Amino acid sequence: MIALFTAIIVVLGLVPPIMLTLVPVPIHAQSLGVLLAGVVLGARGGALSVLLLIALVAIGLPVLSGGRGGLAIFVSPTAGYLVGYLPAAFATGWLSDRIARRAESGWRSLAGFFGAAVVGVLLDHVFGVAWLVASVGLSPINALIGDLVFVPGDLLKAAIAAYVGRFVLVNFGNRARVSRNPG
Amino acid sequence: MDILFDKAEARFSGRVVLESLSLRLSERRIGVIGLNGSGKTTFSRLINGLVLPAAGRVLTNGHDTALAPAKARAAVGYIFQNPANQIVLPLIRDDIALGLQRRGLGKVEREAAIGACLDRVGIAHLAGRRAHELSGGEIQLAALASVLVTAPDIVIMDEPTNQLDLRNRNLVERTIHALDENVIVVSHDLSLLAAFDRVLLFHQGRLLADGPASQVIAAYRDLAA
Amino acid sequence: MMIAEEQHSGLLAHVPPGVKLAALFGLSLLLFLVRAPAGLGALAALVGLAALLLSPRSVAQWLRAWPLLFTIAVVVLWTTFAESPGAALVALLRLGTLSLFATLVTTTTTIGQFIDTITRMARPLERLGLANAGDIGLAIGLVIRFIPEVRARYGAIADAHRARGLSMRLSTLVVPMVIGTLQSADDIAAAIDARSIRSENPRKKEG
Repeated sequence: MIALFTAIIVVLGLVPPIMLTLVPVPIHAQSLGVLLAGVVLGARGGALSVLLLIALVAIGLPVLSGGRGGLAIFVSPTAGYLVGYLPAAFATGWLSDRIARRAESGWRSLAGFFGAAVVGVLLDHVFGVAWLVASVGLSPINALIGDLVFVPGDLLKAAIAAYVGRFVLVNFGNRARVSRNPG
Repeated sequence: MDILFDKAEARFSGRVVLESLSLRLSERRIGVIGLNGSGKTTFSRLINGLVLPAAGRVLTNGHDTALAPAKARAAVGYIFQNPANQIVLPLIRDDIALGLQRRGLGKVEREAAIGACLDRVGIAHLAGRRAHELSGGEIQLAALASVLVTAPDIVIMDEPTNQLDLRNRNLVERTIHALDENVIVVSHDLSLLAAFDRVLLFHQGRLLADGPASQVIAAYRDLAA
Repeated sequence: MMIAEEQHSGLLAHVPPGVKLAALFGLSLLLFLVRAPAGLGALAALVGLAALLLSPRSVAQWLRAWPLLFTIAVVVLWTTFAESPGAALVALLRLGTLSLFATLVTTTTTIGQFIDTITRMARPLERLGLANAGDIGLAIGLVIRFIPEVRARYGAIADAHRARGLSMRLSTLVVPMVIGTLQSADDIAAAIDARSIRSENPRKKEG
């Protein structure tokens, strides 16, 4: 289950960028995959799924958006965003577990998942900016300015992740959520 | 082979999928037929413990599927309806090697065992190929090889010829006939089962007919008319 | 996209991956402690020379990773304007050296070696009950195995969109892909159970 989701994250990074409805720039959908992992699989599944992705990158496989991979990614300026996927997926997952458990009506769970996804996006950006500051020596303000460009696209992805998450919850129940013991 | 169903019943979400069943299987070639939703696949999955009985028990070669699942599974090689989902590693050779994990063989012996298995099924030339490149028939045979390598006593195949063209279907049929292991086939392909020793017909969760192939297949035709 | 079969020869291929990774870590620390451009320049030259001598293939690989080099270039340029040329030089030397060394490690280590190293590193974590270290190899294999299938599924969905004249929106493309993949995941999990190929958890007992 987890491994299959990692495959989804990879494929979302490999397929040609899609034009999102509002944003005029084609966007890679990979971070959408990460948010989805959190929403659909929950905290444990989402985190393990991203961990697997990170392992694949470390091994050198071209699994990151655009076919990138290898240890060099971990020392590049954008490494924070990759590593940040992990706490993002975990936090989004943790919040989503709570929301799914309460099984609220239509738009409430949708809003809840969106909130969970936004938290994930924020966390990822925090890690991304932090690494930019640490590795490159940019001042926090300047790093933040560079970072803000990507925020609207990511928020849109959060919305999509919430929508898909809700769909899966309705049609699949909570079966995709990975419990403590994988059995 | 000795499979015993002792008042075994299967349920799914509270609904009875297979009614209380008691029988013994020991024939070399057994066919299982029925309309969709008749419980035939559930029946086959009770044998290796993928489905556990809600009541009663199932003993596969003397092992209770609920109490000794590992031993029950070790005796059975199961081939799923969608064999592509059964090959879990990219290279065919590596996937087949998975079955040898527990035998603790040395490298040379492992290669030999894998090679022998591929030969048996006639796909030695596919050893180094990637799973997603194979055709439907080739994947079916690869799944069979991956299962045979664990030296099971019983091989169960769920709709093995479903998606195959005629040539591949004939290939699979010949391969099945050539197997030494005991084979149980769940299928809609009636001509495949015509030469089998015994055929079971399920209908709406109950065993409707049980006997020689020609007899039971005739009963099925009446049912489906 | 698929990964080529690697046959690694050369001196560095025989160095244990653990050692190489530790060296990478050590180098990172060193690069961040040294502040003077002169010192960084010396380190950069050292690493560059070693790479050229021991594994010219890595240098080629490094040069070919243009998204990475592009990112570094963009960031360095931004730093020149936002901070100072001096800071940009420091950043350039650091990032360049690190990425080259990291590429060196990646290119001289096979997938199999990596998986073994990761599995070994994960063994202590088994006690936390997170997962079986032995399953890591299987999980990695599973991802690689099914990437083409998930890709194909996505392609089929995209084709269906085109055939019906629908515009390609992420929301309508992703849902069927996820649902379909989760259904396959059920089958795959059943097959793994049936074949009993998961690693034995040393803590679990089975009847």
